[in-house]
Formats: sequence, C-alpha cells, structure tokens
Amino acid sequence: MIKKIPWWLGGVLMALLLMFVFSVIGADRPIGASTYVPYFAGIIFDLDPEKYTYLKEIHNAGSWEGVMLLGVFFGAFINAIFVTKTFRFTIVPSLWKKYKNDSVKSRLFWSFVGGFFLIIGARLAGGCTSGHFLSGMTQTAFSSMIFGGVVMISLVVTGKLFYNKDNKDV
Amino acid sequence: MYDKDTGMLDRLLSMFQTVQDEGHGSVVLVFIIGMVFGSIIQYTKVHKFEKIAGFSMLKDTVVPKMLFLAIGLASIGLFVLIHFGWASYHIKPIMLGGLIIGGAIFGASMAIFGKCPGTGPISVAEGRIDVMVGAIGGIFGGLVFTVFYDQFKMIMGTSLGKLTLTGYFEDSQGISVLIFGLVLIAISIAIPLVEEIDTDDIGYKE
Repeated sequence: MIKKIPWWLGGVLMALLLMFVFSVIGADRPIGASTYVPYFAGIIFDLDPEKYTYLKEIHNAGSWEGVMLLGVFFGAFINAIFVTKTFRFTIVPSLWKKYKNDSVKSRLFWSFVGGFFLIIGARLAGGCTSGHFLSGMTQTAFSSMIFGGVVMISLVVTGKLFYNKDNKDV
Repeated sequence: MYDKDTGMLDRLLSMFQTVQDEGHGSVVLVFIIGMVFGSIIQYTKVHKFEKIAGFSMLKDTVVPKMLFLAIGLASIGLFVLIHFGWASYHIKPIMLGGLIIGGAIFGASMAIFGKCPGTGPISVAEGRIDVMVGAIGGIFGGLVFTVFYDQFKMIMGTSLGKLTLTGYFEDSQGISVLIFGLVLIAISIAIPLVEEIDTDDIGYKE
C-alpha cells in the first residue's frame, strides 16, 4: 500500500478536490475548516443559539464543516491504523525535542495556548489555511491574499524567535 | 433549559439534518469530501509538526510548495468552471482589522502549535496527545470568541467589500487569472525543497 505521496502530487490532487467541491456537481461552496470549532464549542458548552448571535451566523457553515471534519477524522484514523501505520500515542514531537526542549509540561502548555489563539485568530480573520489560503486565494480574493501575507510573515518571525536556531543535540 | 444529554444529541443530529437540507452536497458526500481532503494531507504529511513548525523555521518547505501549487492550479481550473457556469465565487469580505490582527495571531499560533484547524483532527486521529490538548484549547478559543463576539467584532472592523483580482481586471479576467495561477505555480517550483523528518516515524529512513 502507498504510505506517502510527493508534494506535487498532493498539490495536484488538492487542486482537483477544490475544483470538485466548488463545482455544482460537488458542494457549490468553498472548503473551510475553522468554523466547526466554535460550532462544536456551542454544542459542548450547551450555549443557546438564540442567545448568541455568532452561533446563529455560523449555523449552516458550522454544520457543513462539522460533517466534513468528522470525515477527515474518521478517514485519518482508518489510514493511520491500516495504511500509513502512523498511529501511536506520543506527546512531544521529535522536531520540538530537536529545536525546543524535552519537556512534556512545556509542550502541553504551548499546545493549549497555541490551539486557543489559533481559533481566536482564524475567527477574527474569518478563515484559516483552508478557507482563506486554499479556497480564498483560488478565487483570487484580496482578503485572502492579505491574510496569507500576514500569516506567512507572522509564522516565520515566530518560528525564528520561538525556537532555538541550532539543533541542540549536535 | 432542556436536559443536557439529549440536548447535545439533538444538536448533533440537527447538524446532519442541516447539511442534508442545505443543498451543498448530501451528508454522505460531505463526509467523503472530508475523507479525501484528510487523506491528501495525511499522505503528503503536511499535517505533521515537523512540516508546519519546520516551515516556520524555514527548515521544511513542503507546506508552501504544495499550497502554492494547489492554489495556482485550482485558480485557473475554477475560472474555467465558472466560465462554463459550473461553479461560482464565494468571496470573503476585506475587514482589515480582522485580517491583519487575526492573521498575525493565527500565524504565530500555527508556528508554536505546529497545526492549523484542518490538520489538527488528523494528528488527533493518529494518537498525538499534545494536539488533543491543543484541540481542547481551540474549543475554549471558540467558546470565548462566541461569548465575546460583540467585542471581537469591534477589532474586525467594517467590510471594504468582497474584492477579487478578476473583479479588478474586469476587461482581462482570463489573462489575469492565468498570470496569477502561473506565477503561483512558478513560486511553488522555485522554492527549494528542504525537509525535516519525524524521526519517531517507523522506517523513516526508507
């Protein structure tokens, strides 16, 4: 079984999937993958959609993405067990050990903080890597180009400041 | 207040009903779209910490290479689909405050967490406990955003319109999309390929 495909094949397949999802025989909408998070938060914390305007606004998009992400999760689990054999419980990624530290506490703290602000940032901007980058720039939207530019700069600047420059094992 | 357990179940069922009624593909189709989307990401490994955080350190370039290639190809393809009436644009508005402040927060979080909202679930499904903790953080982020939406709206600012490159070059839409797409494809090819490999992966040497 194929366990890995090269980046260019991934790019071609992703372009075909985007076109299918946009088309009328597909879903006639863009791919998005961050609205589902506040949508699920609303369900988990039992927030009344009548009381919170945001939940009302994202009802349809949140539902669509919710179902899509269940597909992502289910497919990834099946793949990880039977195909890529990448399922295993780990806490600290190998690259974090290489350029940051070996601390479980540090990794979990930063994961929580990172996850929290990832969603705040995505919802402020109205999209994420999928909604803005992939789907938005495919439509040549200026909003997505602004988002894409800011994200690239912030990502690289943070990477430079946050991680150690040299492999500490060497 | 309704009973909490049945409330949650009812709302999950209503999620499927909403998708079925909305007309953006059946529940089964949307689920399959998710499986294909996730598989492309999983097989190229661009969901991994090594790829996303590695890109932030400029030590791995698979993410930007794949991203720019996909956008370049799809922008040209989508334009053709729209030309034949088989698809349409769904543009997000320009809200400078939200895009710039949100984008800066998003980029910094992506560098530290090493995930984005679409790739996180794949890593959780592979048993990454740190990503599970990050996902819980994300749920709290979604909660805070929902509860303080009125305050966040003030940061986002007002919409300057849903502008696009094709709208800007109205008389030469086809050419402008073609150039846009080809430039992105060229950038994707021009970025030198460097990779960081997760040394925990079985048989990573291959």
